[in-house]
Parts: sequence; C-alpha cells; structure tokens
Amino acid sequence: TVDTHANNIMVVKVGDKFPDVTLFEGSPAGAVKTSEILAGKKVVLFALPGAFTPGCSKTHLPGYIEDYDQFKAKGVDTIVCVSVNDPFVMAAWGESFKVGDKIRMLADPRGELAEALDVVLDLTAVLGNKRSKRYSMLIEDGCVKHFNLEEDGGGLTCSLSNNLLSAI
Amino acid sequence: RFFSVAANASVIPSTPIKMKAFNGSETEDINTSQLFTDKKVVVFGVPGAFTPVCSNQHVPGFIEKAHSLASLGIDTIACVSVNDHFVMKAWAEKLNTGPQVLMVSDPTAEFTKSIGMDVDLTAGGLGVRSTRYAMVVDNGTVKQVMKEDSPGALDASSVDAVLAKLK
Repeated sequence: TVDTHANNIMVVKVGDKFPDVTLFEGSPAGAVKTSEILAGKKVVLFALPGAFTPGCSKTHLPGYIEDYDQFKAKGVDTIVCVSVNDPFVMAAWGESFKVGDKIRMLADPRGELAEALDVVLDLTAVLGNKRSKRYSMLIEDGCVKHFNLEEDGGGLTCSLSNNLLSAI
Repeated sequence: RFFSVAANASVIPSTPIKMKAFNGSETEDINTSQLFTDKKVVVFGVPGAFTPVCSNQHVPGFIEKAHSLASLGIDTIACVSVNDHFVMKAWAEKLNTGPQVLMVSDPTAEFTKSIGMDVDLTAGGLGVRSTRYAMVVDNGTVKQVMKEDSPGALDASSVDAVLAKLK
C-alpha cells in the first residue's frame, strides 16, 4: 500500500503498484476494490475533476467511449472512469452518455484514491470540495505502466484517450 | 445536531450565503437575501441529486403541484441539495424541473448547516448532506418547518404535506 502520511506523499509514478482502494459502482452498496478490478488484467483508468462538468463531459469521457473498440483491439480488458463524486451521480453521468458496459463508472466519494495517488485537486471554491486531478493510466496486473497527469489538474491534453491509445 | 431552525426563526443571515441555482434555463448566482426577502418561499432539502427517493418522488411531487402552491401565494419553490451546480443542473434537466422549481446548489452545505439541516451520510458514501425537510418561509421568517425523521423517509416534507399546512 502507498504510504499516505502527509510528509511522505509522493505522486504515483510508472512502476508503482496501484493502491488498493474501495470505490463504488452504481450505489453506496456497490463497493468494489481496485485490487479486484486490476488483478491479472490490462486496465485503462482515467480520472477527472467532476461528473457533469464541461471539460469532463464534452471532451474527456466521450473520447474514451469513442476509442473503446480500439482499446479492446489492443488487449485492454477494462476501461474505468473515476471521479470524486457519489456513486449515484457517477452512474447517472455514465447513463447520460449511454456508456453501457464499455466504461465502468466508479465513485471515489471520499477522495481516497486521489489521496493515495497524491493527485488531489482543491476545487472547494468552484465545486465545494477536493476532487481529483485529471489523468489517464494504463495498469497491467496492478502495476502502473503509463501515467499521464494534467499538471494543472483540469487541462485536456496528455490525459485524453488518443494519447494513451497510441502509447499502448 | 444541536438545533434545527424552528418557527419564527430567520433564515437570512446578516452576511448573505452565496449559492447557485438552476432556474430551468440557466444557472444563476443567488444568495439568501435574494432568495427570501419579500417572498413567500417553500424550501425543501434533499440528501442528493440522482438518489432514488429524491428523484422518483420528492422533486417530481413539487413539479406536479407547483401550480397549487402558486395559487396559495407561494412565490418560489426552491429545492436545496449539497451538490455542485453542474450536478444540480444536470439533475434538474433530467427531471424537467423547468421554471417551477428552483434547483439550488449548496456545495459546501453552508446554507444547510446554517439552518441545522445537515446530516453526516459519509457512511453511505455521500458525505455531509442535507436531511430531508420542507419549510414555508415568509420574507425570511420560518412559518412552518417539517423535518423527516430520517433522510430516507418522505412524509412530512412532501408537497402534499406542505399543501395541507398552507390550506
């Protein structure tokens, strides 16, 4: 597990083991551990500041939906979208885009994953609480292989799907 | 909870609390003074946008009977939830709230806490939220306050319960 003591937090990097955190799918009863999702699989995981926010909705999420077939063709088993929102909101957002089985919409309601990866983005002024920076990752059997972090937290550049696709 | 606002209390603090509200067309800035001064307002609080009871019963009830409340002299029906304003707008559009119900976003729970209606739903993955309640407020003074025994219940704070109190 990643040591999240304030003095020792280091931003996650390629080669790290992805932390084991409980996320939620669909409702508060839908707990799922990241270790279960990642074990033995090739997983694309992307995170963003907020469900239903403009950049996330207009660009970030749609890109991964569009590139789903291409990711699958490259051997990706699962695509996961994570945000610091509650599971009802995440599910509703996914439904509004008709993601169906293509993307697992996972809620990190207490920001535990964002903290564990040291990618917390303080958006209290705009959204009311701390969120996650925008990033994308390729994780193989629980190990981070590629990691694209928007340094400013909200940019729509390196973390877009086409960039990760071309790196696989 | 130490206290919840009661009848004859004021819900307009001296320093206005700033929030945002979706009015059916766009999201606007709104503060407590603007929301309550010189108006008869029915405010109801919900634990969360896109949650089952809130979505399937509580808000739709107020949309359906908005005209009945208007005919009883109510100027504004406001739904308050501890969600960001992007989520509130998306939820309002999904529920078709139109101009009938003002969907107010209280993302840090500042207003909700000011009236003692906050509840810790962290265990349920929702964080600090609003409990379920309804209030009739006249020019900033609480006339009626109906708080559910638990956030999941919908009884005293439903539109029918509010209508019964007003008639």
